[in-house]
Amino acid sequence: MEMKTDLQQDVHLKAILNSPAKFTPAVPTPDWTVSKPSTSFAQKSNSLMIVTTPGSVAGEPHTNVIIQNCVATVSLSTELNLAVINARTRNSEYNPSRFHGLVMRIREPRTTALIFKSGKIVCTGGRNEQDTLLATKKFARIIQKLGFNIKFQNFMIQNLVATCDLRFPIKLENLNQMHNQFSSYEPELFPGLIYRMIKPRIVMLIFVNGKIVFTGGKTRNDIKEALENIYPILRSFRKS
Amino acid sequence: MSSGHKCKSCGCTEIEVDSARGDAVCTNCGAVLEDNIIVAEVQFEEGNHGTSSAIGQFVSADSKGGATKFGASFHVGLGVESREITLKKARRGIQHLCNQLMLNQHSVDTACSFFKMALSRNLTKGRKNTHVHAACVYLVCRTEGTAHLLIDISDILQICCYELGRTYLKLSQALCINIPAMDPCLYILRFAAKLEFGAKTQQVANTALRLVQRMKRDSMHSGRRPSGLCGAALLMAARLHEFGRSANDIVKIVKVHESTLRKRLIEFGDTPSSALTLEEFMTVDLEEDQDPPSFKAARKKDKERLQRLMEEEAENLTDLQKQIELQLKKDRSKRPKRPSKGKVSEAQETELFIQESTLGTIQEIISQSSSDVEKSSPQILELGPNIESMGLANSLQDTSNSPASVEPLNVDMNFDDIDDAEIDMYIMTENEYQHKNGLWHKRNAAYLEEQKIREERLRKEKEEGKPEKKKRKATRRKNIPAANSAGEAIEKIIQEKKISAKINYDVLKCLNAKPKTEPKTKVEIPEASTSQSIPKRRRLSSVSSNCSEKSTASQKWKPSVAQAVNKRNKDRGLGLPVVTSEIKEKEESNITSEEELDDDYYENPPTEQNEMGVLQMLRQHRDDNDESEYAYFDFEEYD
Repeated sequence: MEMKTDLQQDVHLKAILNSPAKFTPAVPTPDWTVSKPSTSFAQKSNSLMIVTTPGSVAGEPHTNVIIQNCVATVSLSTELNLAVINARTRNSEYNPSRFHGLVMRIREPRTTALIFKSGKIVCTGGRNEQDTLLATKKFARIIQKLGFNIKFQNFMIQNLVATCDLRFPIKLENLNQMHNQFSSYEPELFPGLIYRMIKPRIVMLIFVNGKIVFTGGKTRNDIKEALENIYPILRSFRKS
Repeated sequence: MSSGHKCKSCGCTEIEVDSARGDAVCTNCGAVLEDNIIVAEVQFEEGNHGTSSAIGQFVSADSKGGATKFGASFHVGLGVESREITLKKARRGIQHLCNQLMLNQHSVDTACSFFKMALSRNLTKGRKNTHVHAACVYLVCRTEGTAHLLIDISDILQICCYELGRTYLKLSQALCINIPAMDPCLYILRFAAKLEFGAKTQQVANTALRLVQRMKRDSMHSGRRPSGLCGAALLMAARLHEFGRSANDIVKIVKVHESTLRKRLIEFGDTPSSALTLEEFMTVDLEEDQDPPSFKAARKKDKERLQRLMEEEAENLTDLQKQIELQLKKDRSKRPKRPSKGKVSEAQETELFIQESTLGTIQEIISQSSSDVEKSSPQILELGPNIESMGLANSLQDTSNSPASVEPLNVDMNFDDIDDAEIDMYIMTENEYQHKNGLWHKRNAAYLEEQKIREERLRKEKEEGKPEKKKRKATRRKNIPAANSAGEAIEKIIQEKKISAKINYDVLKCLNAKPKTEPKTKVEIPEASTSQSIPKRRRLSSVSSNCSEKSTASQKWKPSVAQAVNKRNKDRGLGLPVVTSEIKEKEESNITSEEELDDDYYENPPTEQNEMGVLQMLRQHRDDNDESEYAYFDFEEYD
């Protein structure tokens, strides 16, 4: 009981610990107490939650999903002279014999962009969508300032990487056996179980300590849906 | 030939054998007794010098017999023969690998059949032969539960372990082979044999096996390589049996790093089983299972962070305490002055006493709260600002702290929110530009030169009119949407892949795909019904019930017919049909029906064409086969 309350507080502590910019708090996970009344643990913890967190909605367990990386693309729809851009800026590197794109970095927000001759930019490293948009705009502005006639077209988030911690250990072997058409688990190759969800189309890396990495999602909703789908499954594969 | 046989279904002996079609049919009941009969006679031919030889050539058991001579292969098609060569090559490769891994013949055969399956699914395309062979062998190892690791195979073939792993995973997924979970116990005996324990090998292995089983119960194995676990268990078992094996000896055999081995040992040390003596361990099974070490580590980390946070909180409190004390001191320094000024009255004295005592208790409380800050701080946090009140996003959907996903649609170049000073920071001055430009050109001189030559060559080629290099057509397979019903799925399969030449697909189409073909037949129905309905009407000589149907069909007719029909409709519209009008109608309808018949005669060819159209479409589906077959495979792959 005490351990549980500790964990409960821990969630809140963590929430406050993280800076708001980085922190994306609280996915209300599906109401598993309804679907799984048989597990005594669920009932216990649920009643406990209602007692300890009177403010929260219906005592739902909260999971911190933190967006770790955000990749976006934009088209400037103009031909760029990468050699000139490279020479004019101090934050770029261009080594055409190794890679055809130009690599440019900025400090705030701390991101990296790959700039191609066709005017396409791929921006990675942003902590959230807003960051990435701002960063992409900055890259575009830098190029604009160098005298290129650019447009800012087709800004699109291509990939979101998020992590979360479910705080219960998971039986990966059994999960792999039951879901073998979606999952692959080879401890010789990678310690986590790779779960390829079809809808939403997201890949999850599930680790034995209950931590999950989501990747391949284009929107936050994708990730949320994926978590909602996988949560009851993982719950059932909980290591007692 | 046939005289000796008896029909299995009716017992009739009259069986007709058609050697051209290659089947045997009972003439009595029509049952097909044999299909695809191969001529079993041996014929001989006489050579130039009176030598006789058997006609035909030797065909081995696993050969498809498609093409055996150069000339024959030219006609029959190279595909079959090439597949045979591929299979033969694969068998050789698999055999070689299995020999090195000490696998028996049965495993070789199984691996070969896995390869055949992979080949038929086109899984070998784009992969190296060695990888596919090795993956097939590893599949056998896993399904049979032999003590081989991926790394052994990659060691023998000198290929990347992860690349091999990827191939293996793809194969097992695509071929739907259910592979049992890896069991670290399998490898104990194998490693133990290499460690030179002599006669005691079995004993040591047994101890190690027990250790590994215990580790498994304490879920130390999940997410870990089996070799590390085995190594740790063997090291412990060796020491327990008084063999002086160092960590280094083990590392050489199990091929993990020493730090990994040490980590496993420490993790085992953290479980309660490690506290037992050897005898106890071999006899007692602890009931309690442990959480995985990584889980414990994560919780420990959380706890530490909590602790740190609490300490920070405590510091904050002491800061507050200091401030309060400072304030109190000030107050106190002020206070003594007051009584010294005037006379100390009794009332004042009591006030002073009360003040002091309250201050005392306040101080006491403060000191108390700071002493058990650990207990009180969580409560403070509970009461403190929660997520909602802090105005933070409550869920992933709530993008109040990152509204970017809503914004990105601003196509206009609006750089108002960007600080230009910051941007300018990244842009270099003219001097710096010259410098960097020069440097870059110097460094990339070779590349630029190369590029120039290439461009020159391309230009020349263009001038000479050389055809541009043909780009390989990317055979993008059409993605087929999932079928909604079983019938639809069958229809799709029929469309995509001709299953047999002996099936009448048109009929099959009608059977299965009724809902789909209905609209086509509907078009035909009215036209057919008109011709049917005409004699009917003649006989009945009254307004038949299918008038409404006719009216829809009549839209196609010639104006004169349409008029006649209109007239009739008008008559009917007057009310109940009177006998006189009926007679009139009879005459009229006679005329019209004749006209109709004429019309139908003219109309018929188009309807036939229509039918042809359906047939053509069906044929088209067949013609489309080679194209859509890919799609079919694709569809299967994603299954």
